[in-house]
Amino acid sequence: MTLRRTSLSANIVQFCRYLRQNGFAVGVEEEAITLQALQFIPNIDPSVFRMALKATLCRSKDQAEQFETLFSNYWKQIEKAVDAKVKDESTAKKPSLPQQASYKSIKAWLHGNRNDETEETASYSFQENLSQKDFSAIPKEEVEELMQIIKALAKRLAAKKSHAYKFSHKINMPDLRQTLRKNLRRGGELMELAYRKPKRNRIKLLLLCDVSKSMELYTAFLIQFMYAFQQVYNRMETFTFGTSLERITPVLKENNFRNALGVLETEKNDWAGGTRIGASLESFVKSYSKKMLDSKTIVIILSDGWDTGDMGLLKKSMEFIQKRAKKIIWLNPLAGFTSYRPDVAGMKTAMPFIDVFASVHNVESLRRLNKWIQ
Amino acid sequence: MIPLNEIKKMLLSQGYITDDAVAMSVFLSLQLNKPLLVEGPAGVGKTEIAKVMANALETDLIRLQCYEGLDATHALYEWNYQRQLLHIKLTENGSQSIDEKEKTIFSDSFLLKRPLLQAITHHKRPVLLIDEIDRSDEEFESFLLEVLSDWQITIPETGTIKATHIPQVILTGNRTRELSEALRRRCLYLYIDYPDYEKEWLIVKNKVPAIDLKLAEQITRFMQQLRSMKLEKTPGLSETLDWAMALASLHIDHLDKSIIEQTLGVILKDWNDTREVQLSLSELMEKTGIIPKLDMV
Repeated sequence: MTLRRTSLSANIVQFCRYLRQNGFAVGVEEEAITLQALQFIPNIDPSVFRMALKATLCRSKDQAEQFETLFSNYWKQIEKAVDAKVKDESTAKKPSLPQQASYKSIKAWLHGNRNDETEETASYSFQENLSQKDFSAIPKEEVEELMQIIKALAKRLAAKKSHAYKFSHKINMPDLRQTLRKNLRRGGELMELAYRKPKRNRIKLLLLCDVSKSMELYTAFLIQFMYAFQQVYNRMETFTFGTSLERITPVLKENNFRNALGVLETEKNDWAGGTRIGASLESFVKSYSKKMLDSKTIVIILSDGWDTGDMGLLKKSMEFIQKRAKKIIWLNPLAGFTSYRPDVAGMKTAMPFIDVFASVHNVESLRRLNKWIQ
Repeated sequence: MIPLNEIKKMLLSQGYITDDAVAMSVFLSLQLNKPLLVEGPAGVGKTEIAKVMANALETDLIRLQCYEGLDATHALYEWNYQRQLLHIKLTENGSQSIDEKEKTIFSDSFLLKRPLLQAITHHKRPVLLIDEIDRSDEEFESFLLEVLSDWQITIPETGTIKATHIPQVILTGNRTRELSEALRRRCLYLYIDYPDYEKEWLIVKNKVPAIDLKLAEQITRFMQQLRSMKLEKTPGLSETLDWAMALASLHIDHLDKSIIEQTLGVILKDWNDTREVQLSLSELMEKTGIIPKLDMV
């Protein structure tokens, strides 16, 4: 048997650091709670131990799901490390371990390479240059960071927007003016009270996103952005279309953004037929418009207008939607280029029915979008 | 204090069949005196945990149902303005001084206590269930955070009320909105998923004792299969129980196509889902082994 020089508490602290490296927000407080929790558990058998750690260290469903793998990876590696130290370090090449990125990172980290930690806890700053960049010009490594920026921005804007619901710590006050008015006929005797009521945002949003190859990235960013507004609006529905229309609202509702992106991925696969905006809009009109379109609904369409389908269908559907919706906002990433003119047939056909034509090619333009959706 | 294995027994004796993860979370939440945040799909028994816990601890359950627009008036307290006005009117010609009058109308009997205030002034340590917290606005969430850490409430007219006992708090959520990190950090977290076959079967058998064992098996298998379909509203455990109870009270001992078709409304609450399931019913039944292959011809 190997002799463990590290105490339980040191191990827990280390494990927490490992979790932190994997995106868990585990602070000193959590470490303390975990240690405290372990005191209450008399006989520590591995599964109980794991469960106790899970109960105290996880904060969300995603984390709970990740936890099992992280846990077993970590302790496996620890065993190995302790083993290796006690035995001999001259052992020739061992059969290589599974070359998972996560596995490697533990290894690197266990061998004293700690400077990663400062990096991973550093906060995301709003980088000017990143927010000006066109989405399509962003290298893959920066996508995650940009997502964070968009998320933060959207959250801020959404919070501002929900002013209408303003929650006050004060107890509901009677509305003096209304109360006096109500009681006039009683000669000003105040018997019936009127209360101030919070205003409600009655606007509904409807998103129709093009997920053809050329639009895929913009759609991902737009959805990430709009996602934060779910609470602000009375209702928000999201559809994607490539060759066919798909409603992804339920997936987004589950709050599982990755799943939602997964839907986009699969959609991409049947892209070969090209985008059929007209047909997609028509199928929206047919199956959903009755329920979802009214004069309080803002319709946002994100597409570059490259339609390979029937123009007549597009015209008819656009006309139908415009008549019933509050307004149509058409977002076209190409509109960000100064030289752009809507020459594509699909765009030309749709133009007369559009209230706002704008671009969404970078973070700046997303920010500008905010003023149109109220 | 109650040891870990007692918790499971305690929950079990209340008819709540659970796994070790749930028992552990409940145990630690009691021990560490921390709120427990329970998330999971609808109808898997999140709310039930609080009820069972209150029963097991032999204390009262105070429930705050959250909704969009919930505010302090409905969560904390409110003055009974009408009654105050009436009181002033009635004592108009009395001899009380203004100070005395003010004292009376801002006394306990004119205060409408809402769940949060009720919970902290309760005579015994209660279980406070804050249901569907994700439906409330973010502003309410941060307000709740304040209450959950200070355990005191200030009423301008009378002063600060400190908690007599700190309640055992359970928050539930459906993940319709991402909760703030701050709130999460204050709680222990538990995610309850749909039960697996064994667990669901056990629960059905336990909650519906009158049920035929074979039927229980079929129902459970059917429900498990149903959940793997892409539905608008995936039926939860409560739907399974409703269905089991309905079928048991009809004295049915096995599923067949017409029975399922007739009672589909018990488990599916969406028109599109119903249609889809009806269309693929034969396939579904075959997968769950309800139709013996012989009948197929």
